[in-house]
Amino acid sequence: MTTDALKRMTPIDDNDNFPDAVKPPLDRDSLRDVIDLALWAGQLMLAHGADTARIEETTHRVGTALGATWMDILVSPNAVVITTTSGEEFRTKVRRVVALGVNMAILDAVNALSRRIESGEWDRVAVRRELERIGAMRHDYPRWLIAAAVGAACAGFSRLFGGDGGAFAVTFAAAGIAMLVRQALQHRHFNALIAIIPTAFTAGMIAASGVHFGMTATPEPALAASVLLLVPGVHLINAMRDLLMGHIVTGLVRGVTGALISVCIAIGMLLALGALGIQGF
Amino acid sequence: MFDTLIAFIIDALWSCVAALGFAVLFNVPRRMLLGCALVGAVGHAARFLVLHAGLPIEAATLFAAVLVGGLSAILSRIYQTPALIFGIVGAIPMVPGVFAYRAMIGLIRVAGADTLLADERALLLSGAAINAVKTGLLLGALAVGIAVPTLLFSRRKPVV
Repeated sequence: MTTDALKRMTPIDDNDNFPDAVKPPLDRDSLRDVIDLALWAGQLMLAHGADTARIEETTHRVGTALGATWMDILVSPNAVVITTTSGEEFRTKVRRVVALGVNMAILDAVNALSRRIESGEWDRVAVRRELERIGAMRHDYPRWLIAAAVGAACAGFSRLFGGDGGAFAVTFAAAGIAMLVRQALQHRHFNALIAIIPTAFTAGMIAASGVHFGMTATPEPALAASVLLLVPGVHLINAMRDLLMGHIVTGLVRGVTGALISVCIAIGMLLALGALGIQGF
Repeated sequence: MFDTLIAFIIDALWSCVAALGFAVLFNVPRRMLLGCALVGAVGHAARFLVLHAGLPIEAATLFAAVLVGGLSAILSRIYQTPALIFGIVGAIPMVPGVFAYRAMIGLIRVAGADTLLADERALLLSGAAINAVKTGLLLGALAVGIAVPTLLFSRRKPVV
């Protein structure tokens, strides 16, 4: 073997003659591993509420740090497609993604993972183990605590909208119980969009009953704030972020999803108001 | 003046509660909850001040969102986590949920508008349209405002 050939096979770190992009080429099996891990990271991020630019950036970082020369990434609203290139070799894979609701702990963990790969701390085996751990992560807070926190948040909103103490109490009960209903429906895998209607109906019924029995002098803040737990805030903000960064397709899809959720909230609320014969809100 | 100060503090407290509640819903790790409370309170209270100074809500939201974006960038350095987490939680108290809700209620009521007088129909439709436009503008202000640090300071060539 000539020294030249030997040089090409050894990992390059302190050779100034080579530009950064020249890495030792990966064989097909390693390349399959890299694409798998990068897709997994991308899938976790897309499923749990990251915006498109961040998904592209992080999966690119994961793949190139694990040895691929280049990554071509396509993030669609419900799939991630990646082509990895290394030397003469390339592989492409599609991963279907189902949105599972916002989970910031997972986004934080994937981000920390990508930093560790980049610093050279972790190899592919360690990354696979960490991704398995992240994928199995459960919600950090117990269900009742989430319901109470969401109830308090919506009650806080009712105060921000100018509601009185009665509105606070009514909204807390309405939003808290609606959250429990939502968790129960999600747990039983009802259609995510349709399930919004009974949830909004529950919130509306409780809030409207409170108003009906004269528990508050400020009915509108109580009624409006009680359904805010359902407002697709992350969808709508991410939609605008994607549109702003030039990811028009994902932005439009997220925006339409947000609008559909808002329609379902309004239907549930109008059903509740109609059932109690309350007019004018 | 004193009344304004009290109202300002109360506004900050309630938006703190709102941001924390949604942070729990979004499963933000415990160690970051303090940062979430801070960013939620600062954003909404800043908007309160600007609104109090007489600016329209769209401008006030843009101003507050820029503040949230800057604060998120700092917090993301401290906590070593994506700025997105603080950006979204900080924006949540300002998301135009009530405008979106009113727009949708108005639109669905249009279905029953055939029994209304012409004046009432016009009122219903224009009300829905006003709320829809406000929703869009406020969301745009939030998204642009939060992204300002990225747009200004990390203008890298796209990686993909």
